[in-house]
Amino acid sequence: MFEKASLKIGAGTKGLGLSIGGVVLSVWAAIAAKEEPAEKAVDFARQILPILSDKCFVCHGPDAKKKDFLRLDSFAGATKDRGGYQAVNPQAPEESELLARIYDADDPMPPADAEKQLTEKERELLSRWVRQGGQYAKHWAFVPPQKHRPPLREEARGSIDAFLAAAMEEDGVNFAPEADKAVLARRASLVLTGLPPEPERLADFLADESPDAYERFVEERLASPRYGEHQARYWLDAVRYGDTHGLHLDNRRGIYPYRDWVVNAFNENLPLDDFITWQLAGDLLPNPTLEQELATGFVRMNPTTAEGGAIPLEFQAKNNFDRTETLGTVFLGMTLACARCHTHKYDPITQTEYYRLFAFFNSTAEHSMDGNAYAYGPVAKAPENPADWPDWERFLKRRSDLLRRAAMEKTVPPSALSEFAKPRAEWKAGEWKQSPILKAEATFPKEEDWKEAKGLPGAIPKSSLPKPGTALWLSFEVETPEKQTLWLRFAGGEGSAVFINREEVSLQSSASWGQVPILAPLLFSKGTHHVHLKIAGSSSGGPIKARLENPWDTVAKAGSLKTSSEEKLLLLLADPAGPFHKLGQSALALRLAREYAAKEPALTTSLIARDLAKPRETKVLRRGEYHLPIGDALQPGVPSIMGDFPKNAPRNRLGLAQWLTAQNHPVVSRVIINRVWQRTFGHGLARSPEDFGAQGQYPTHPELLDWLAVELQESGWNLKRMLRLMVTSRAFRQSSKRRRDRSDPENRLFARGPSHRLDAETLRDIGLWAGGMLDFQMGGEGVKPYQPAGLWAALAHPASNTKRYQQDQGRRLYRRSLYVYWKRTSPHPMMTLFDAPSREASCVRRSRTNTPLQSLGLLNETQRVEMGRMLGERLLRERAEDAGRLDLLFALLASRPPTQKEQTACLRLLEQMKQRYQQDEKAASALLAIGEATGKGTINLAEHAAWTQVASTVLASDTAILNY
Amino acid sequence: MKQKLPYPSREEHPRREYDLMMTRRHFFGRSALGIGTAALANLLDCELLRAAKTNSRGLHHAAKATRVIYLFMSGGPSHHDLWDYKPKMNNMFGEQLPEHIRNGQRITGMTASQKNGLPLAPSKYRFSFQKNNDRGVWVSELLPHTATVVKELCVVHSAFTEAINHDPAITYIQTGSQIPGRPSLGAWVSYGLGSLNENLPGYIVMHAKSRFPEQSLFNRLWGTGFMPSDHQGILLRSEGDPVLYLSNPAGVFRSDRRAQLDALAAINQAQHERFADPEILSRIRQHEMAYRMQTSVPEVMDLSDESESTFALYGEDSRIPGTFAACCLNARRLAERGVRNIQIFHRGWDAHGNLPKEHESQCKDVDQACAALIQDLKRRGMLDDTLVVWGGEFGRTAYCQGTLKQDNYGRDHHPRCFTVWMAGGGIQPGVTYGRTDDYGYNIAHEDGAPMNPQPNKEHWTPGTMHIHDLNATILYLLGIDHTRLTYRYQGRDFRLTDVHGHILRPLLA
Repeated sequence: MFEKASLKIGAGTKGLGLSIGGVVLSVWAAIAAKEEPAEKAVDFARQILPILSDKCFVCHGPDAKKKDFLRLDSFAGATKDRGGYQAVNPQAPEESELLARIYDADDPMPPADAEKQLTEKERELLSRWVRQGGQYAKHWAFVPPQKHRPPLREEARGSIDAFLAAAMEEDGVNFAPEADKAVLARRASLVLTGLPPEPERLADFLADESPDAYERFVEERLASPRYGEHQARYWLDAVRYGDTHGLHLDNRRGIYPYRDWVVNAFNENLPLDDFITWQLAGDLLPNPTLEQELATGFVRMNPTTAEGGAIPLEFQAKNNFDRTETLGTVFLGMTLACARCHTHKYDPITQTEYYRLFAFFNSTAEHSMDGNAYAYGPVAKAPENPADWPDWERFLKRRSDLLRRAAMEKTVPPSALSEFAKPRAEWKAGEWKQSPILKAEATFPKEEDWKEAKGLPGAIPKSSLPKPGTALWLSFEVETPEKQTLWLRFAGGEGSAVFINREEVSLQSSASWGQVPILAPLLFSKGTHHVHLKIAGSSSGGPIKARLENPWDTVAKAGSLKTSSEEKLLLLLADPAGPFHKLGQSALALRLAREYAAKEPALTTSLIARDLAKPRETKVLRRGEYHLPIGDALQPGVPSIMGDFPKNAPRNRLGLAQWLTAQNHPVVSRVIINRVWQRTFGHGLARSPEDFGAQGQYPTHPELLDWLAVELQESGWNLKRMLRLMVTSRAFRQSSKRRRDRSDPENRLFARGPSHRLDAETLRDIGLWAGGMLDFQMGGEGVKPYQPAGLWAALAHPASNTKRYQQDQGRRLYRRSLYVYWKRTSPHPMMTLFDAPSREASCVRRSRTNTPLQSLGLLNETQRVEMGRMLGERLLRERAEDAGRLDLLFALLASRPPTQKEQTACLRLLEQMKQRYQQDEKAASALLAIGEATGKGTINLAEHAAWTQVASTVLASDTAILNY
Repeated sequence: MKQKLPYPSREEHPRREYDLMMTRRHFFGRSALGIGTAALANLLDCELLRAAKTNSRGLHHAAKATRVIYLFMSGGPSHHDLWDYKPKMNNMFGEQLPEHIRNGQRITGMTASQKNGLPLAPSKYRFSFQKNNDRGVWVSELLPHTATVVKELCVVHSAFTEAINHDPAITYIQTGSQIPGRPSLGAWVSYGLGSLNENLPGYIVMHAKSRFPEQSLFNRLWGTGFMPSDHQGILLRSEGDPVLYLSNPAGVFRSDRRAQLDALAAINQAQHERFADPEILSRIRQHEMAYRMQTSVPEVMDLSDESESTFALYGEDSRIPGTFAACCLNARRLAERGVRNIQIFHRGWDAHGNLPKEHESQCKDVDQACAALIQDLKRRGMLDDTLVVWGGEFGRTAYCQGTLKQDNYGRDHHPRCFTVWMAGGGIQPGVTYGRTDDYGYNIAHEDGAPMNPQPNKEHWTPGTMHIHDLNATILYLLGIDHTRLTYRYQGRDFRLTDVHGHILRPLLA
């Protein structure tokens, strides 16, 4: 970058005064004397650029405001002849003006009133750099990663360890001893799956002395479905996944299939380059699969509004600011927000480049206002349960295969089609009437019993639903101008029937009466007909919808098949009275249409990306103001500092994905693998995972980071492989005990194992799991566990459909926390309390705070108490003696037996509580009534209450809530 | 004569300095300036830090205010009907807003194309002139109690913002950005100053009841954005536990909890012996503080020791938990106990239609309690170092939204000018600042002529107050230089006021 930054420096500016003289030389001599004899070479990228960026670029950087102003972000700029002198003079370093001014007490640089002053150490470094020739180098993150040969170190298990060992050696330390086997098992299990090992499996592992016991243990974790769920969480934070729109009404948004896709992708170990591509541009791939379409939910994840009076153009811009900047954080590890209003102060990204990136997103098809709608289109339909996706995809394929084979538009010329459709769109249906609930065996209701059917066609009101053994009759008149088919949809139990002019029509329904909606083609001759519909009660008891449909209406309106959905085309093809009947595919089409009807109730929708046929125009927006476009329309493009846009790649999101995943992209693989390292080791190799720019922190182990980044690419973007390398390294297997021989509070050397408090979700999952309550059902609509009353109502707009928190019942209370409903303006308080982000903006690193309110949450929240109760019961049920119970408790939560001290503390508490609750059974009952989970047997009240207290306490302790 | 700067010997103990910096960085990014005592207290010895911080010392300069109580009127109160008296409009009933007054203003989609255009709606309310220590101030009959304390208030007629819709506007005034993701004003204060009372949260938020809870609030308004989440505002609620999860579960007495905490401390201590992680020790302290909060919070909420005269001062509503009056009384109690940062959100000011009915009810909710809070703080000698701020996210239009009648009308959102008042804590009492034109539409010069060009956030124009200026001034009074309280995220040193904000020096006492 610095070599090619365009420069606007001319002669004659007053940027620097002439002040070269003896004083500078004497300074020079002083420094030289101090540094004698040998002077270490400075590393521009690591040591100098951060100083220039932080202290100088605000005026002398890429965004230098005044024309011809000195720029220090390139060699050319720094060495430019400024009328007899240079800021940096490589030929005569001691004459460099920079050197004079940083030591100039009267006219210093930075100026005396500047917010950021140089430290003495920084002055020294700058001096040394100037003296050594003032050479520039690219900022490290913009140089594509190179796979350096790992240093040879005996103590290393692999390349990761070799790099770390070499750095430790410089610091005079070595790896810490290996952690206890049990501790290691817990650590690996938590890091990979977010749950501790099952006690039986742990015991097997501890007893297994084969050399690859740990590796096999790791493999099992990687293969567990819990793995994908846990890894997905980090990604969902980064992409700001939420179940609501996020702004103003903060209404429900249908996008959870995206979340389920992420889980699947990790479990199936989808190569990360595909993972990226599908999310950015799955819709632009040839014949995209369902999963590729669902993945584009990424593009639609920005918070949206439909606030009355909001200006659509304004939100068209804001939505895309958000997407552009999220792309920056998630993939480029870089803030782009600065360049929204002006050229970046620190990193070489121009405002024009920002808007070129913006242009990739500016042509998506959705309206800029969400309409407060759940299915804020475009959306894809998908089964609610991700386990049904493969079957659904096969169905979609069969359907599209059939439609392609049939080539309907070629069979009937458009004129003939219109001619057929037009009169048939003139059909009329009279008002629907309904009977009282009759016995199942009764025949046609009497004339006087019919009354107006409320809500029909549509959903039958709950009060009118027939129970088993009874039936509800509906009737209406139909007037058809031609012979034609109308399609009736309803649901009913066995014995349901349809009559045209009192003659029964065959429904061909089968064993799944009651569960599956019925789709019946009703063939009418020209004229007026009377339809009777008998709906037999069934035990399924679900809502019943009944309606009549004519797919020709759409054709008549459009004059062609173009606007007909695949569902409608299928009906046209199946129509026994229609022009496509001659294709001989009617029976198959009817079968598929019925299959669709059967699947439809379990379908949901998910927001996806689509591009407009004609792209929207993008221009630079002055100061980021939506109504101040300037200059010419921009073609989509990428910041040049991060490599060229691939040749022949399309200028759309697909091309953008190709650029991001290109082998020579300098940052993406580093940014991604750094975050994987961060969640495995507790801290990233680059400590500012959200900023790889000049202002970010230099990596603690740059060569290791590069090695991992290249390895990630060379492995075929294989995440499981990378995690395997990490968790089997010696570094990961070290004891996490703080070392006496080295003060390293942030573990920058990685000379001890990871240790940190676990995330909100993991804390809850562990408790549910230990209490035997965790429901392993995967996917689906977000779940709503206990939450204090009134939290949503206190904030929500009266028109919001997330105004009331409707707590779930039964098993949905115990699903993994990944599936907890995420209302972005008010996430679950136990999440917020333990540092989960709001998901309104991207988060690639959660804070880890330590507050008194967390103590209250851990010990008093309903679900936590319920966990204690169920865990207490489990201990009582599964072990006969108190000592054994304590062993099991610690085996579950700490993967080891209690120490003497812990045992003493717990047994003492147990005794206190037993005594207390023996004397106060009412209190015991009250405690044991918390939460909806029901236990398995009758246990002594006082004992159960006492064990509840012990279990709750250990659940809240640092043995349970930390990874260590 | 050029001189070489002396080399300071700041790094006498490089190891310790390094470790300290690293621990700070752990919490604050790399900013060496914004050192919040609360967060540091998590890391270092609490007692030492408590000794180091005194109540009145600010972060960057001496604080004028030790604490702030922000009475936030969510939805946008009508300056036309409360504070900004426009007698000339009485003769313009129903006339269209002149084009030169609108002057290119973008207006919301709700009124941009309404059939009756933009008919001027003079306020139906009577205003009375109140003397203060300055040029005096007109107050609407809707605020009879507030009118009695104007000698304590600094009334600003010339607040302005760019945002025109609620979500962006309220997010803007509370976080400095229209787009979610930034820390709130309260979080910045907590980050900069920490807490004064270890037994209560340092930043408390209350939601007062309203008959017209028309607009949404969002956690982000008291959230921490990219800052550590321990700076977030803690909700003090009138239903259920006053602080979430404060009460022990049914069947668990305080003595039981004590026993639990003793066992917990022993287990954690054992964990610390094994791993020597200092966070564990800190957590033991947090558990103890939680235990103390279980008594200190209910004590604040329990109003039974308040005198009858106090209830009379705040009004009968103050006996009903969750009312604005009760929240104000709670606020005073919290302030007395060292809570630095208190915000009360009162919804229902978004009067697009039926403004008289809604605003009358809203004013009834807040008027007496606002005045009472000022008087109460004053008589307790606390007003001097307590800053009270009253205002919403924008104002309301001079023209009517919907059908215009003499006695009933609605008003749309108006960002170009609105009224905010401040009191106590280093603000000049009894002054009136800024003017608007005869239509209450534009900020005006002293002669009433609209400022042209419009004031903007880039430069401070005397007589105006951009919302960044308001926030800069609030921070200033608390002893914080808004340009120096920064938090580094994504390589940028973020500020509450972004790159804007000017301290309103004319308003300082």
